[in-house]
Amino acid sequence: MKFTHSITSLVVASALLSPTSPSFAQNDSHTVTVFAASSLTRVFTTLGSNFQAAHPGVTVRFSFASSTTLATQIKAGAPADIFASADATSMSSVSAQVPHPVDYLVNQVVVAVPKGSRIKKISDLNGGATWLQCAHSVPCGIAADSALKSEGSVTSSPVSLEGSDASAAAKLLSGSVDAAIVYKTDVIANLGKLTAIPFASAVAASTQYQLGISGQSVKSKSHWAQTFFRYLKGHDAEKLLVASGFTLSQ
Amino acid sequence: MRRRRTDPVTRLLAWMAITVIALPIIAIFVKVPWSTFFTSLRGDGSFTAVKLSIWTSLLAGFICLLLGVPLAWWLAKSGDRVTTILRPIVLAPIALPPTVAGLAMLGLLSRTGLLGRPIFKIFNWQMPFTTSAVIFAGIFVGLPFLVLVSESTFRQLPRDVQDAAEIDRATPAQIFRQIAIPQSKSGIVTGLVLAWARILGEFGATMMFAGSLPGTTQTWTMQIYQELNISQDTAYALSLLMVLISVSLIFFLRKPITQAFAS
Repeated sequence: MKFTHSITSLVVASALLSPTSPSFAQNDSHTVTVFAASSLTRVFTTLGSNFQAAHPGVTVRFSFASSTTLATQIKAGAPADIFASADATSMSSVSAQVPHPVDYLVNQVVVAVPKGSRIKKISDLNGGATWLQCAHSVPCGIAADSALKSEGSVTSSPVSLEGSDASAAAKLLSGSVDAAIVYKTDVIANLGKLTAIPFASAVAASTQYQLGISGQSVKSKSHWAQTFFRYLKGHDAEKLLVASGFTLSQ
Repeated sequence: MRRRRTDPVTRLLAWMAITVIALPIIAIFVKVPWSTFFTSLRGDGSFTAVKLSIWTSLLAGFICLLLGVPLAWWLAKSGDRVTTILRPIVLAPIALPPTVAGLAMLGLLSRTGLLGRPIFKIFNWQMPFTTSAVIFAGIFVGLPFLVLVSESTFRQLPRDVQDAAEIDRATPAQIFRQIAIPQSKSGIVTGLVLAWARILGEFGATMMFAGSLPGTTQTWTMQIYQELNISQDTAYALSLLMVLISVSLIFFLRKPITQAFAS
């Protein structure tokens, strides 16, 4: 029956088109695989291309997602040479794979609103505004929870708990919500469109990023993984990270 | 009739196919924490998400049935000119990646969207982040499956029965309701099951369009995804429940499904 065949091919086609999680082939020495918190997408992508331009023949590939998701993947055996986590909790959960992480950056969550919004202070979230934040299990959500708790003035609830700061920021930029609790760096990346309302307690709103190289990459003396790891902590990277709104950890 | 044996190469390939499908499902059974199965399901809001998924998918499936069967009949009765244009549009969601489907629905119905903007102006309400967004996304992704299978079954209806009914002065509505639908029951049920299974499994488009909030928009699949970050045991337990539902549904409906595809 011809029609059944076309059904079958359609179903097969749809299956092929559905997105799959990143699956990487076995590491070769000229490829560096970096798992990084989604808030680092812009900076790391730029750093990766700069590094590749300076070292022809070397490929740096990234997998960006919430740090919690990345940690789960690393625990399940995903071949990451370098892991940049948006909090210490996710990093410590992979201590078997990434044994000696270092404090890397500090970022803060803020209430981000579109330019010209009627929301001027954090308690304005109560006046019937629709707002969202990250899920309670991912770093930007954990920081948001702690910031809201220290603020104490917000009684309204978010309309959605997003999987990462990137998807929270995207929904704010699309105009579907009035405000989103995202990172300061998300606002700086969209300075023409967004404004940040900071929380009174910068400490409660902060999250400590950590950077680590996998034990496997150290053991196998993977030259380019170690070179890129140093590059991420070097002067060029620092300049770009600071310009993007991150604070460097000393 | 004696069955002919298949050749060894065909059988080898067939067994490989079975392995590819069956082993991952078996893996879920093995990985489920049996000793803590029920306690892990009783955890934070697992059943809230399961309940939400079940009632929204049933409602979306029912709406698919209500709208999809007439559309399938219309397509089956139409000439080539109509179907060449309409069918690809109607079936598009089957081939659309979930993120594209999510973006498309946001583009239409968020408060800055094509229809969403006037709706928001008048009613001060937008569909994203509400349970109705979960249902709408379900209809969007499920409807094509129902239309596809139902139309194919309608096209196989013997012409002479309809001709005879027409000679007896049956109205088009009577032919549709009293002949076409009863005769095509197995096809419609199969389409409905495929649509419902697709709706229940929906993840990406809903996450983009409806968001994820426990009790309101966080569906079963989103809960599984989130639990992966919190407790893998719960994620496996929730997954097993879903496997059991899908497999038993297909088992109980194996007759109509075989009929719809074999005729």
